[in-house]
Parts: sequence; C-alpha cells; structure tokens
Amino acid sequence: MFVPIKLERKNGRLIYVRDDVRKILPECEIVVNPVEPINLPKNVTKYLEIDFPSILIKPNAVETIYLKFPVEIGVFAKHDDKIAIVDVFTFDKPKYTLYGNPKNGVVCRWFWSEVYYEIPEVDPLREGVLKLVIRNGGDWVEVGKVVLDCHAMKIYYGEFASCWAEMKILSKISAETAFIDKPIIKGMKKAIELYTTRRLIGRAFTMEWGLK
Amino acid sequence: MSVSVEGLLIFAFAVALGVIVAKIVGIYIRRTLAEKIPKNELNLILKIVNVTIITVFVLFALPFVGVNPSGLIAAGGFAGLVVGFASRSVVANLVSGIFLMAERPVRIGDQIMVGDVAGFVEDIQILSTIIRTYDGLFVRIPNEKMFTSNIVNLVANPVRRFEYVIGISYKDDAKRAIEIIKRVIDDHPFALKNPEPQIFVNELGESSVNIVVRVWSPSSVWYDAKTEILWKIKVELDKAGIEIPFPQRVVWLRRGKDELGKDVSA
Repeated sequence: MFVPIKLERKNGRLIYVRDDVRKILPECEIVVNPVEPINLPKNVTKYLEIDFPSILIKPNAVETIYLKFPVEIGVFAKHDDKIAIVDVFTFDKPKYTLYGNPKNGVVCRWFWSEVYYEIPEVDPLREGVLKLVIRNGGDWVEVGKVVLDCHAMKIYYGEFASCWAEMKILSKISAETAFIDKPIIKGMKKAIELYTTRRLIGRAFTMEWGLK
Repeated sequence: MSVSVEGLLIFAFAVALGVIVAKIVGIYIRRTLAEKIPKNELNLILKIVNVTIITVFVLFALPFVGVNPSGLIAAGGFAGLVVGFASRSVVANLVSGIFLMAERPVRIGDQIMVGDVAGFVEDIQILSTIIRTYDGLFVRIPNEKMFTSNIVNLVANPVRRFEYVIGISYKDDAKRAIEIIKRVIDDHPFALKNPEPQIFVNELGESSVNIVVRVWSPSSVWYDAKTEILWKIKVELDKAGIEIPFPQRVVWLRRGKDELGKDVSA
C-alpha cells in the first residue's frame, strides 16, 4: 500500500507533507510507528472496544485468543532521545461507540474482529494483532467484547503491530482488563507511545456493563 | 487609634508574605495534582487554598495596624446585622455559590444553558458564574440566579442524541432513501454504533413522506456530527435523485356548469 508521506530537505530543514498536513522540521531523526488508535478523526476517548463473535469460557479456565485491532500511524521527530509528535494518520475508517449506558457509560473507539486461535494475517497498515488472555475463575461465561484503556496500551511492532492484554472475569457481566508490557513475538520493537506522560501504565479498566 | 509606619510596613510585609506563600503552595498543589484530578476541580482547590492562606496572614497582621481581630468578631454582632441587611443579595449569592460548588451541576468547561444564556462555563466564582456564549460574549450570572434557575448541562453525560426529520417526495422510494441515510450514518465516525441509530418513516405529511433520523454522538463533538451528517444526507439524497420537496398543495381546476346551469371556470 502507498504511504502518502513526503519528506523533502530544503534550506537545511525537513519539509513533511501528507495530504493537507505540511510541517517544517529541523534536521532530526524521523520515526514512524503504530500508536494508540484513539486519535482520529479527533481524540474523544481513551477506550477501545473490540467486538467479536461470542465465545463460551469454561469454569476455572484460561483461554487465549487473538483479535485484530485498528492501527493508527504516528510520525515522530526524535533528537537526543527527546520526541515530538509530527502527525498521526490512519488507513482505517474510525468508528465510535458507547460502552454502558448514556449516563455512566464510556465512549470507545469501536472495532469488529473475528476470533483467532493463532496469530492471524493482517493488513499491517490497517490492523494489528491483540493477544487476549481471558482468565475465568468462576462459572461458565460468554464473552463477546473487550474494552481496554489505551492510555496504558503497549504496542510492539515488527512486520505488524501487536499488543498483549489480559481479561480477568469477575462475574457473568463484569471483568477487569489491562495491557501487559510484553511483545507477543520475541524480537518485536516497542513503539513510541503518545500517552506515556500520563503515568497510567498498568492501570486496569473494569468492564461493568456486560461482556457481550 | 494610632498606626505606626513600622506597623504598616509589618502589615504590608505579612500580606505580601501571605501572597507569596499562597503562590508557592499553589504551585506545589498544581504540580502534585495536575495529572490526578480534572482541571476544573484543581482550579477550585487552588482558589480555596489561596483565599484561606491570605486570610490567615491578614488576620495575623491586623493587630499591627491597630485592628484587633477578636474585636472584629465582637463588633460583628451589630455590624453583621447592618451589613447583613445591606448585603442580603451578596450573602444569597455567596451561599448559592457554596451550594453550587458542593452540588456541582456544572463544571468549568461544560456547555450549559441557563435561562436564555447558552455557552461554555468559564469560571465558577464565589459570587457569580462566568459564561462565554457561543458568539463570544462574556456573561456574568449571579450564583443566586444560577441556583434557582433550571440549568441544562449539555455535556454532563458522555453521549447525546440528535434528530432530523427529512421529508422526501411521494414519488421517490422511501426504502432507498432510508438505505442511503443509513449508509451516511454508518460512514460517520462519531455517529455511534451503540446506541444504535434509528431511521424510520414517521409521517405521511401533506407534501412529503417524513423520515425521522435519530443518532447518538459523543457530547464533545455532538454539534459537529449533527451538522456534518445532515449535510452529507442532503448531498447523497441529491446524488441519488431523491427530492426533498417544498411544501405544496394540489389545486384542481373545475370546468363545467353549476347547479343553476351557469358556466363555471375556477
């Protein structure tokens, strides 16, 4: 796929051009990597909801599944280990939803994925792979969605973007979700994040308005 | 009552010290809590801390200019009565302000409607609330009025619904129009997937088949979504040749003879 970025060197400066975006940068390193998919077309939430065909989980079982998640691409300027965001774009068509009710719920970036039991093939500019470990310590439970706090998202990338999350079932209608700061395949590179300054790493989100 | 220059200097120094201490404490609080609590709550805490520290310093410094704070309290009985009558509305606004801060029906940055004023809450002060209207006007509403008025907070909930009534002509295919509208809504990122949008024929009007469209959107982008979707619906219906008709009336012209046998042409 054609990535519509143009970088020109002019008068000792770099000119970054993508569609209507045009920025003048000093001589620096340019880093392009997948970022948290909650920025486009405008940042209105920090949550990502992925819906998938419902799966039944046995009592006291651990189920590992793979889902696809939407990818946004961040362009960063880097100098002396200091990083500035230049641009974020996506090839995906973003869609948002509400998890919960209109009074207490949370707005989420929405995405639909099939369920996979091994790492699926993805279009790397549009989708990444989420490894989701579901831990059920109780009775039979049906799960058809996962909601994650993307301010704590840890993306690793190689040929495609990936992240790893855990879902701890609390009851038939509630669960706790959190990202794990590990690559799903050894050797993947950690992506520069947009939301590292918020110091919310490892924070869990409680899904209390249903699991399907 | 005589006030020495030395006493005045000490008073001024104490007040200045109070302002500096309040500022330092404010900076510390801002640094510590900036990422932990919402900005509007942080501003409120900063204001309370600021006023408290300066008041304490002023009370300590008052004896140096010959004013005894305990005397102020003793004199407060009668003076309070006089001042109370004179400043009834001020006290009402103050008390209302405290209740508003406790009840918190609005926060700084919220979009609200109070009476005929609509806009962004810029500040919630102890006596009044400041609104910046959508056309950029500064409006000060006394807190007593805020407290006793119906306040509509447009962004208190995470999502809001908007509605259009779209009339299409009788000769056009309503089912196709609904499909086109549904596609436009599905394509818009901020037309929420859940709660699901509703699109249905609501009325067979005088001049048009009226289709009701209800869409939920995040409160923060509600207005943009509403205007963008309506425009896209119009463009797509136009492209598909579906007419949004003007109000019209069909008039039948009759020719012939009336009951008395006279010629009629109307």
